[in-house]
Amino acid sequence: MPATAKRIEIAAQKQLRPIVRDYFLNLDAAASDPARRVAWCTSIGPCEILTALGFEVYFPENHGALLGARKVSHEYIPRAVAAGYCAESCSYMTSDIGSALAGFSPLTEAFGIAGPPKPDLLVYSTNQCREVQDWWGFFGRRHEVPVLGITPPTHLGDVTAEHISFVRGELARLIDIIETHFGMKLNENHLTEVVARSSRASTLWNQILDTARVRPATFTFFDGLFHMSPVILMRGSQTAIDYYEVLLAEMSMRVRDGVGAVPNERYRVYWEGMPIWPKLREMSDKFFDLRAVVAASTYCNSWAFERFDGGDPLEWMAKTSIAIFINRDERFKQEFLVDMFDRFDIDGAIFHNARTCPNNTNSRFGMAQRLRDEQDRPILVFDGDLSDLRFFSTAQTMTNIEAFIEQLEERKR
Amino acid sequence: MSGPVFVGIDVGSSATKCVVIDDRFSVLGSHVVASGFDYAESAESALSRALAESGASRNDIASCVSTGYGRQHVDIADRNVTEISCHARGVREWSPEVRNIIDIGGQDTKVIRLNERGQMADYRMNAKCAAGTGTFLESIAARLGVPLKEIDALAMTSTCGTVVNSYCTVFAGTEVIERIKGGQPREDISMGIFRSIASRVFEMMPAHDGVCGVTGGVVAHCRAMVRALEEALDTMVYLPPQPQHAGAFGAALLALEFSKTEGSQPSHVARG
Repeated sequence: MPATAKRIEIAAQKQLRPIVRDYFLNLDAAASDPARRVAWCTSIGPCEILTALGFEVYFPENHGALLGARKVSHEYIPRAVAAGYCAESCSYMTSDIGSALAGFSPLTEAFGIAGPPKPDLLVYSTNQCREVQDWWGFFGRRHEVPVLGITPPTHLGDVTAEHISFVRGELARLIDIIETHFGMKLNENHLTEVVARSSRASTLWNQILDTARVRPATFTFFDGLFHMSPVILMRGSQTAIDYYEVLLAEMSMRVRDGVGAVPNERYRVYWEGMPIWPKLREMSDKFFDLRAVVAASTYCNSWAFERFDGGDPLEWMAKTSIAIFINRDERFKQEFLVDMFDRFDIDGAIFHNARTCPNNTNSRFGMAQRLRDEQDRPILVFDGDLSDLRFFSTAQTMTNIEAFIEQLEERKR
Repeated sequence: MSGPVFVGIDVGSSATKCVVIDDRFSVLGSHVVASGFDYAESAESALSRALAESGASRNDIASCVSTGYGRQHVDIADRNVTEISCHARGVREWSPEVRNIIDIGGQDTKVIRLNERGQMADYRMNAKCAAGTGTFLESIAARLGVPLKEIDALAMTSTCGTVVNSYCTVFAGTEVIERIKGGQPREDISMGIFRSIASRVFEMMPAHDGVCGVTGGVVAHCRAMVRALEEALDTMVYLPPQPQHAGAFGAALLALEFSKTEGSQPSHVARG
C-alpha cells in the first residue's frame, strides 16, 4: 500500500462514544436504584418486551465481545474452566463467567463503573445457540434472580405460520410470567412503539450496510463491528434511530462522492462467521494494506431485520427472531450467501472456523466446499476463535489471508 | 559470472533455503541452513553460500523475493510473497501436469490445488496443531531417542500395514509406547508414524485427482513419507529434483517474472 494511503475516519463515530457511555451509566444507575429494574437479555432475544415493561436491558454477549476486544479473555477463561465449564464451549460465556469470578470488567476502565449491572431478571432466546441457557443459569444462581427463556424451533428452511405462531405463544407466556412475578402489566401500545423503533433502527442499519455495495465500498466489516452497538444495545430506543440517521447520511455522502473505506480498493471480500475480537485492528490493517475491502459479512447483517409495518408486534418479534440467518438450515444459508456475494460484487469469501462457536461457523458441513465448487469465487477457510487466542495463530492466519489475496490477484491478471 | 541472477529465499520455521537462477530459469546454486533464532542471519548465510555455488556476487542480483514464515526478515528482498504462491510456482515449473501439491514442512503442512491453467484454485494449511507436520515426526523421534534417519530406514523395511492412529503428538507418542510394550516390530511402528501424517494430509486435500507433487524437508529426507503418501493416495507421487527448495525456487522464478514486468507489479506485495 502506498505510504500516503490513509484511513478516512467516519465522522459520526465521535457521537457514538458518548451514546455508548450514557447507555452503560444509565444501566449502572438503574441497578442501584430500588425503583428501577434491570434485565439481561440475549443479543437477538425479546428485548423489546423487556423495554416495554420498563426494564433497562443489558446484553452479556456484548460484555464477552468487550473482554475479547480488550485482549483479556484468556486471563479469565481458565477460571470458568476450573469452575467446570468446558474450554471448548463458547468463549464469550467462559470469559464472561471467568471475569465475574475474578471480579473484573472492562466496563470499569471504559466507563468508570463497577461492572455489569446487577440484574432483576435474566431472559434468553436459544435462536442463536443453546449455550446461553447455561450461561444465564450461572448468573441466575449467582444473583438469585429468575432465568426465563424461549426455545424457538431451529435450523428452519422456510419460516411457516406454525413456526411464528409457536414462538408468539412462547413470547406471550413469557410476558405472563414476568407480569405475575413482578406485578407488572404490559402496555401493548407501548410495545408497538418500541417494536416500531426497533424495526426503524434495524432498517437504517441495513441501509447503512447496503451502501457498501458500491465500488469503492463505503464501509467495511470492521467499521460495522464498531458501529453496530446501537442496534444491539439500544434497539427500541430513539437514540439508535437518531445515530443511524446521521451515519446513513454520511455513508450516502460517501456513495455520492465515490469515497471508499479502503483507498484504491482492488479486492472485495466477504466475511462469514464470527469476528476475532482480540485481533480486529491487526486484521483490519492487513486487509487495508492489501487493498482489500471486507465489504459484507453475515455477522453484521444479523441485526438487519424485516421491516415492521404495523399489526401485531409479538408476531413481528416471533418472525424476526426465527428468520435470522443463524437459525436457518444449510440450504437457506447457502442461498443467502450466494445472494450476498452477488449483491456486494464479492471477489472471494473468507470463512472463519471459530473453535468455540460452532453455531456461528458454517464451514463444518461442507458448505465452503460446495460454494467453491458451484461459484467461480475463491473461498478461504481458516481456524480461529472469537475471543480465545489459544485457538488462533497470527502468523498462519496472516499467511492464509495474504495467499488468498495473491490468489485473487492471479485471477485478475 | 556474467549476466543477472534472480534469488529466492524461503525462511521456514526449521530451515532457510536459498535458490539462485539465471534468466533462463536454470538453477545456478542453492543452499539450506537451519533457521535458528535469527531469521535475518540464516537468510544471509543461505544466500552467501548459494551465491558462492552459483559463482555470482551480490552485484549480480537483479531481483530477490523472500517467502516463508520469516519472509519479512530478509532485508535484501525486493518483495515478499507467501510460501503458498511460491510452492505453486516452483512445482508448476518443474512439472506443469501437477494438480495437487503437498508440502510437509517443519511447522505446517500445506495442500495446494492448481487448476488446469496452473493457477491456485484452493489451498489449505494445517490447524494450529502439529498433526501432519515435520514437528510431529521430530517430536516422536526425540521421544524414542532414535534419529529420524534411522526411523526412516526402519520404516522402509516394514511389510505390515500398521498405522499410528493418533494425530496428536502427545497421544501418538503414548500410542507408540503402547505398541512397543505390545511387542510390535519397530519397523512397523516406524512406518505407522509416517502413515499417521499421510492420513492427516489426505483429509486436508479438497480433491485427489491429477498428478500430486510432494515437497518440503520431510519428503526430501524421508523416503518412508513418500511411500506413506503413495499408499494413502493410491498412486505414485511426483518428487521434484529439489523438494526442500520448491518454495525458494518458486520465489526465484517470481523474482525473475517481477523484474520482467517491472511497473505492472501487484502492489499488494510488500517490499522487503
